Amino acid sequence: MTFADLVTIAPLVGAVAVTAVVLFVDLAWPGRRGPVLVTSLAGLAVVGLLTLVTGGTAATAFGGSYKVDDLTTFLDILFVGIVALTIAFGPDYLKPRGLPVAEFAIVLLFAMTGAMLIAASADLLVLFIGLELMVLPGYLLAGYHKSDGYSTEGAIKYFLLGSFSSAIFLFGLAFVWGLTGTTRIAGVAEDLAALTAGGSVSPGLAMGLAFMTTGVAFKIAAVPFHYWTPDAYQGSPTPVTGYLSVGPKVGAFALILRLFVEALGPLKADWLAVVVVLAVLTMTLGNLVALTQNNVKRMLAYSSIAHTGYMLVGLAAFAAGRIEGLEGLLYYGAAYSVMNLGAFACIAALQKRAGVTSNLDTFAGLIRREPILSILMTVFLLSLTGIPPLAGFFAKMYVILAAVQASQDGVTALGVLAVVAVLNAAAAAFYYLRVVVYMFMRESATEQPAQVHGRLLWSGLIVATILTVFLGFIPGLFEVVGAAARAIG
Amino acid sequence: MTGVGILSAVTFVPLIGALVVALLPARYARAIALAAALLAWLASLLLVIGFVATPQRGGLFQYVEEISWIPLFGIEYKLGVDGLSLVLVVLTTTLTWVSILASFKPIQTRIKEYMVSFLILEVGMTGVFLALDAFLFYIFWEIVLVPMYLIIGIWGGTNRIYATIKFVLYTLVGSLLMLVAILATAFAYQAAHGGSWAGAFDFEVLRQWATQGGGFDSTLQLLAFAAFFLAFAIKVPMFPFHTWLPDAHVEAPTAGSVILAGVLLKLGGYGFIRWTLSLYPDASHTFAPVIIVLSLIAIIYGAVVALVQPDLKKLVAYSSVSHMGFVTLGIFVFQPQAMAGAILQMISHGLITGALFLLVGVIYERTHDRTIAKMGGLAARTPVYMAIFGFFAFASAGLPGLSGFVGEFLTLVGTFATNPWVAAVAAFVMILGAAYLLWMFQRIAFGEVSGFLAGLGHHLTDISPVEILTLAPLGALVVAFGLFPGILLTLIDGSVTVALRDAGTGTAIAIDPLVVALGLGIVAAAVVARVATLPFGSRSGTGAGAAGPATAESGS
Repeated sequence: MTFADLVTIAPLVGAVAVTAVVLFVDLAWPGRRGPVLVTSLAGLAVVGLLTLVTGGTAATAFGGSYKVDDLTTFLDILFVGIVALTIAFGPDYLKPRGLPVAEFAIVLLFAMTGAMLIAASADLLVLFIGLELMVLPGYLLAGYHKSDGYSTEGAIKYFLLGSFSSAIFLFGLAFVWGLTGTTRIAGVAEDLAALTAGGSVSPGLAMGLAFMTTGVAFKIAAVPFHYWTPDAYQGSPTPVTGYLSVGPKVGAFALILRLFVEALGPLKADWLAVVVVLAVLTMTLGNLVALTQNNVKRMLAYSSIAHTGYMLVGLAAFAAGRIEGLEGLLYYGAAYSVMNLGAFACIAALQKRAGVTSNLDTFAGLIRREPILSILMTVFLLSLTGIPPLAGFFAKMYVILAAVQASQDGVTALGVLAVVAVLNAAAAAFYYLRVVVYMFMRESATEQPAQVHGRLLWSGLIVATILTVFLGFIPGLFEVVGAAARAIG
Repeated sequence: MTGVGILSAVTFVPLIGALVVALLPARYARAIALAAALLAWLASLLLVIGFVATPQRGGLFQYVEEISWIPLFGIEYKLGVDGLSLVLVVLTTTLTWVSILASFKPIQTRIKEYMVSFLILEVGMTGVFLALDAFLFYIFWEIVLVPMYLIIGIWGGTNRIYATIKFVLYTLVGSLLMLVAILATAFAYQAAHGGSWAGAFDFEVLRQWATQGGGFDSTLQLLAFAAFFLAFAIKVPMFPFHTWLPDAHVEAPTAGSVILAGVLLKLGGYGFIRWTLSLYPDASHTFAPVIIVLSLIAIIYGAVVALVQPDLKKLVAYSSVSHMGFVTLGIFVFQPQAMAGAILQMISHGLITGALFLLVGVIYERTHDRTIAKMGGLAARTPVYMAIFGFFAFASAGLPGLSGFVGEFLTLVGTFATNPWVAAVAAFVMILGAAYLLWMFQRIAFGEVSGFLAGLGHHLTDISPVEILTLAPLGALVVAFGLFPGILLTLIDGSVTVALRDAGTGTAIAIDPLVVALGLGIVAAAVVARVATLPFGSRSGTGAGAAGPATAESGS
């Protein structure tokens, strides 16, 4: 280990250090929320700065098992943002239920460290360690509300299926290692290119590919590996659901970028068909089931499955030879994160009083009780629908653009995929707008007084709203995304 | 050629107004909204004054503003105005302030949200007519959707949620496919230019390429045209994509109906002329026979179904389907007079139907009912109101000297030159148009004062000065354009020439009489099916039969 190595991994060291500091702060002032929140948010700002400072130059560390490029920087900033917003949204919900805030923040910071490790891994083992470090805190968070039966049930399902899929994934990695004899991503890619030069994929490689795909499909909740999602999302405390629907998902997509795009890049013609089928199934099923939900949290859980499908469209477009597909995927990840976190934050704010459900009835006549919250929720829902000029529209446009482009290169399946995607987007409008209908056009059955929300929650919501509204107008964001995609494509 | 100018002002003054309305207390909402709408209107009038309408320049884009937005894909913020968009923008700004004024009294709940929605709606509509970048066009196109969704859904009638969701889903399916088509077109252009994105979304560049450059290959043209067609046909709406319209109109508040009929339907017609004819000329010709037959079906079907409507608003809504059929017909016969007629028809339909919806709103305000059968003898109770109503009903029926006549007449003359059969059938329908409007007028205006109206007593007041103020400009324009259609024709002449030059003039579409006959057969079947599903009692509209139950009701 050299000093240069330490500089390269500075953001990661920073993340671990912040976690440790927050732990000690909680020890020093047990039960106090203020110091924990201040240190964790300030710490996140430092980590973000470190990422930006060190991210300027591409570098590798520890003999090439860790690397920093434009993609790492982009994803790290995204993870920091996700965790910061989640921490901002948490206390309002946790406090009335007597759930500790410090552990919440610490566990989230650990998860972020794992996600950052994935984003920077140049070695399959580092990748796997990062993955486990990211998902284990997720299980804890899902069962965070110990006394709530649904929370426990969701957490157990999540844990069992999650561990199961990790094992399957690891099994697949073993096959690849067996065939190539190396765990370095660059080496794997080279060896695979040589192995498949004849155009045939050996049975062992095919099995490895199948196992890894299955494992990853579980993590991103792609149909038909999505069964854990609705229960885990509905049962978890709402701020946690918001985090689970974006953090581990974007993290898993980071893993896909490092593993499938980089290491298995030479095989992309082989996994293209799989991704296309997964994308169609995921979008369509997620949307169709979301149409029938009466619980908004569960509805958003299914809608997040559908969004996975749209992101897979970007991946498919890349596999069909269009770098724009990756750009679209990354842009989608960012847009989806802010708007989905925002939507869940609105639900969490409504549920501040313990006992308030997330059923549609809760939203009836909300405009009278909570006008600002309803308008913000509407913005997030419209963005999720994909109405311009909000972030969600640009995200959808980007992946569809890549798909259309690939179809004009002669890959007809992508053209079909683009049409399926837009038809799905139209169908999705129905269930998103239904919430708007309840908020604006129905009268509430029971009279409830307005609630007072914390300043931290409002600040987080304002940030999320500004990003949702203006993401498409940030000059240079398209270039940043393009640079990140070119780093691996 | 660059920078922000008057077009941005016309587009975004309402947005600033919306922000101000949102930030200030609700009691200022009405005044500020009206002020913002009037300001946008005045700015649009400035456009007319500075517009050069000579034959050489009338078809060119003027006041062009161009700012690079997403250079990575050559997407620009580009606005410009030619004769066609100019008249439609002025129509939009005029109808918006009229609608806002007309909403002062009827809208009493959540006035702030209402005015904000209305002003944002204006931003979207104006933007659609001014955008010269395909991507920007799409964004404005979708912006229109949300406020209209809220206006129908929040301030609408009893069945408003069903109507508004239907409206959104119909429109969204069409527009999202259009987005795919826009992207595909941009790629085709980019691929043909060595991967350079410059100008790939720019309307002028694309048009240049489509008509004088290499042009788009036929498969792309057909697919892209199909997608654009779906989006525009749903908006117009053309038969058989019209079913959202009666629901939306009946449930929408009065001002919402005015804008819906007056401007939103025009977005489709404008889209056809501006985008599809110029970018996909070959596909336009391939699809033209289908569109002509569908237009004919819409003209006849709308009129026949309007004839049997028991509800005033529904009658006007179906008459829109019929009138808008003339618009699509006039566009797709590729003949200068017909296209000029189609544009005139758009303007005049916007004015007349807007006014008719306002008038229906006036009576609804007083009676809370729109059933034709319950009215009767209104001429005796509210003479001024009925006189104005009569004026606009005649205008809608195509009385010579008023604007409705000019549009339909020009369309028919142009169509006759290329497709005499089609013109003959369409001309016959003008009689039907007179029939349903005059019959309706006779039922509500004359005869004994119905028991229902008598029961209202002094609540049934005549039209108020403010209501007359909202109708006066529309009436004045209807007369002006009816007597001096030259005002409009000069403005749009250049645009018509350019559009037809792009699409290829003189290539008349000859439609086999057999096809027309087949279309008529479909209409007959559709009408029979539609009439058969109407509740039986509501069909016998007028006279003693319907006055009976109304008397009983008011007597109790």
